[in-house]
Amino acid sequence: MQKSTIPFLITSFFLLVLLNSCAVKTVKDFDKTAVSSEIFKTPYFSDKSIDYVYKSSISVYGRDFGGIFIAKKINDTTHRIVFTTEFGNKLFDFEISGNEFKVNFILEELDRKIIVNMLKRDFMLLLKKEFVVEEQFENDNFTILKSLENNRINFLFVSKKSLKLEKLVHSTKSKEKISIEYLSENNTLADKIIIDHKNIKLRIELNYLKN
Amino acid sequence: MKIKMLTAILFLCSIVGFSQEQKMSESEISSFKNAVNSTAKSTKTLTTYFTQYKHLDFLEKDIETSGKMNFKAPGSLQWEYLKPYKYSIVFKNNKIYINDAGKKSNIDNNKMFDKLNKLIVGSVNGNMFDDKEFTISYFKTKDFNITKLLPKDATLKKYIKQMELYFDKSSNTVSQVKMIESSNDFTKIVFKNKSINAKIDDSVFNN
Repeated sequence: MQKSTIPFLITSFFLLVLLNSCAVKTVKDFDKTAVSSEIFKTPYFSDKSIDYVYKSSISVYGRDFGGIFIAKKINDTTHRIVFTTEFGNKLFDFEISGNEFKVNFILEELDRKIIVNMLKRDFMLLLKKEFVVEEQFENDNFTILKSLENNRINFLFVSKKSLKLEKLVHSTKSKEKISIEYLSENNTLADKIIIDHKNIKLRIELNYLKN
Repeated sequence: MKIKMLTAILFLCSIVGFSQEQKMSESEISSFKNAVNSTAKSTKTLTTYFTQYKHLDFLEKDIETSGKMNFKAPGSLQWEYLKPYKYSIVFKNNKIYINDAGKKSNIDNNKMFDKLNKLIVGSVNGNMFDDKEFTISYFKTKDFNITKLLPKDATLKKYIKQMELYFDKSSNTVSQVKMIESSNDFTKIVFKNKSINAKIDDSVFNN
């Protein structure tokens, strides 16, 4: 009996070390605190009267592309998203309503499952209206809200000083997958947004166009 | 009172009449084509400022961008957006060179870009009465001769449902281009301050 217990304990110990080292490091050095509010509402892309128009640059595996990113809240639940070239040619046109995703148009060359799914996940994350807060952490500069989404975790970094949402990290239990950084002057409109993928070399930068 | 009403109605009718498009007759079409082709032939260089309006039905207002365009025969073309961002694209020797606020890249011309390039160059010098590529119809108003082009090519059709070119009656050069998508959203480009056959340095086309 004892003989079989020892290997089991050794295995468990290593498994524990292994699992711990694999746990996502996003909130590693932060202190856990009580949850102050159960729902966090994102301030960006929420005003129906605003045309959110951004000059964007996409860098994928060393290649650069540009274009115009347009988002508009067309009713209480739905956003329309369009991406065009600088000349105005439409590359894709999507509608996102909660977990529903509709393709109005996509250029044939871009119409690949892997691309559409990636765009879908990025934009759903970018336009997500509210997050249910499960846990809360903090350090000197940020309050971090942890929210679960199916098998994934979203960490929202809210600045203690300005109370602005400055970063969103989307991760699995062990690895960060996507980070979204926001630079905002007034906390209702993000002037600059950087979407960075951790597992593939893909980075999207959006700069708001004052029309 | 009745006279005032009548005058107002007549005035309105005259406006509608003037701005209304009328189909060109066969002889009008032929003399218009000749005039445009001879202008195009004598156009060695063209510099013009432009304002581009991107219309999407769901937006409050059109997205407005503006800049300068340089063309040098036979086929060097530069579009330089200056507001609200800096972006320049050069079509030259079957290649496309992009300078996106200092970030440079280039693309080999593929079928789609080749068609787009021809369309753009053609829309600038007016040399695009290609019946093989388009079904073309001709209209006129008080100030403009208008051509409406329906692409025949399946690749091009995906991008553009119809292209409309407005030619200044006085100069026979294009003063407005409208590209309409299948969704009816459109891009409108209005040219102003055109300068024809002024010297353009070749370095303009080095992006």
